[in-house]
Amino acid sequence: MRRAWRAWWAMAAALAAVLALIAGCGVTPTGVRAAGQAPGGVAPGPTLYFVDSHEHLQPQLRPTEQLGTIAEALSLLLAGSPGDADLHSEIWGVGTVQVTVTMAPGVVRLMAPLAFTDVTALGIEQIVCTALGVDVQRGGARSSKVQIVFTQPTPESDTLRTCPLISPGG
Amino acid sequence: MWPGGLRARLLVAFVLVTVLGAAAVAWSSARSASSALAAGAEQQFVETVTNQITANAAGLTYPPGQSTLDQLASAVGADTTVTYQHLRSTTGPDTDLVTDAVRAAVQHGDSLFVQRIAAQGRPWLIVGTPVMITSTTGARTPSGIQVYAVRDLTGVQRQIDSLTRSEAITTGLALPLAVLLALVAAGSVLRPVRRLRDTARRLSAGDLDARAVPRGADELADLTVTLNVMAESVQTSMAAMRRMQDDARRFAADASHELRTPLSTLTAVMEVLAAASEEMDGDARESAQLAIAETHRLVQLAEDLMEVSRFDAGTARLRTEDVEIGGAVRDCLRTRAWTDRVALSAPEEIWSRCDRRRLDVIVANLVGNALRHGAPPVRVSVSGTPEQVWIEVTDSGPGLPEHVLPHVFDRFYKADEARTRAPGSGLGLAIALENTLLHGGELTAGNASSGGARFVVRLPRGREDT
Repeated sequence: MRRAWRAWWAMAAALAAVLALIAGCGVTPTGVRAAGQAPGGVAPGPTLYFVDSHEHLQPQLRPTEQLGTIAEALSLLLAGSPGDADLHSEIWGVGTVQVTVTMAPGVVRLMAPLAFTDVTALGIEQIVCTALGVDVQRGGARSSKVQIVFTQPTPESDTLRTCPLISPGG
Repeated sequence: MWPGGLRARLLVAFVLVTVLGAAAVAWSSARSASSALAAGAEQQFVETVTNQITANAAGLTYPPGQSTLDQLASAVGADTTVTYQHLRSTTGPDTDLVTDAVRAAVQHGDSLFVQRIAAQGRPWLIVGTPVMITSTTGARTPSGIQVYAVRDLTGVQRQIDSLTRSEAITTGLALPLAVLLALVAAGSVLRPVRRLRDTARRLSAGDLDARAVPRGADELADLTVTLNVMAESVQTSMAAMRRMQDDARRFAADASHELRTPLSTLTAVMEVLAAASEEMDGDARESAQLAIAETHRLVQLAEDLMEVSRFDAGTARLRTEDVEIGGAVRDCLRTRAWTDRVALSAPEEIWSRCDRRRLDVIVANLVGNALRHGAPPVRVSVSGTPEQVWIEVTDSGPGLPEHVLPHVFDRFYKADEARTRAPGSGLGLAIALENTLLHGGELTAGNASSGGARFVVRLPRGREDT
């Protein structure tokens, strides 16, 4: 008789322990844990690329007080003079234009109001590096490619380009 | 049987195992589910904060002013604090919950930090992150802007609570199922046990043909077979014993029967010898009288033996009639010429149905025994109630010693070894007892308060013919 009661007690105790255990589940406090990369994207301004007297690309920070979009950076690039005697642009006769930027996975596609003949190879690199630089600063990958779609049909429109100053291995 | 039996023990063990198993499963699944829920909520919040910052960062003035911080804080959402050097923008009161540990980590690190805390009785998630400046080549440096966001996890806690509740209910539901299964299992074990018990009970009640049918090939089947073997051997030895007993009884009956014819011849011769002994002289006459007395005793012994063997064989039958007990006792004493040595007290007429001859044997044996072994005066008293009749025979001797009492009705028992030659067959009290029992009555021996031996016959009254 007493043994049986002890068995019932054991059972009740086990049940209580089980319930307590289940009830113990929940959102428990933790210590401070790192949970991934901090977001980025602020900058004093976009970096534009111009050509120096040695025919090399040179980055130039344009202090607009904000990073802005790729299109804005390209507009600044296409519109302008470097404002520095040692640098020049190899993109001509464009003026103030709007560049349409579309993003595909790993590819930044630019619809520029340019003919392939309007730019030199360095001019194309200026555009690629400026676009890619802003993309990287906004959190994009350095390995992204840039595709420039020209106004006149040309196979160059399909080329996926990289920037030697930014792209890994470039 | 219920709380202490095998069934209860099986039940408890079964239920314990089942519930513990179910609970372990429930616990582990509830734990993993709740941690997954919490982690999911955490990840979602981290993503929201990160996405909001990333989406707005490019449009922020840098270095930022108060309005820039306000813009970022409202973009990230409620309960957010954005700081830059001494500037600070807050969109909710709960950002006070941000711990120093998170601040320190954000101050010195360059990744996003989270911490879960419990405050105001609720769980909270704190996210703190610096906003980075990424160079065109991918190098990252802290911008000095820091974002802290706090989120109430009560919703997640509620989800987890309902999950654990349903787990607990599931565990509870396993309980009656376990009880049911345990009862079934206990039944399958206990049914053969019960069959064995029933068989053993029948055996002990005397049904030696009882056997249990073994089923299956388990330990209980082994036990059943063993029980059957035991019953078989008990039955065999019982049969052998009974046969031997029967043989012994038949021998006693046969022997006493065979003795009758020569004894009756001998009795006739003794009558002649008794007549002739009158003319004998001295020693010869004494020898003749001794021979006559011993022959009478031998005849009595043979008669008693036959009577006893009839009881043993179960062939003794009652021939009941209405008898006036006092009168029957008086007749008995008168026939044996004991009236002057025995005081009879039968104050009223008591009629009862009994076997007159056997009643005579009972009284004769008791009174004869009292006269032989006790001392006069011997008293016989008859009394009765509507249900019973009592016949009490008391002598005035020394009484029955304590060690004799249990053996007083044994056959051929002699209380005093020195008096082996006392007249009497040694069967008298045994025959009196058998006759009383045959009537459904009771014969007890004891000592009267005055010191003499006292035998009490109790007979049921008005007993119908059997």
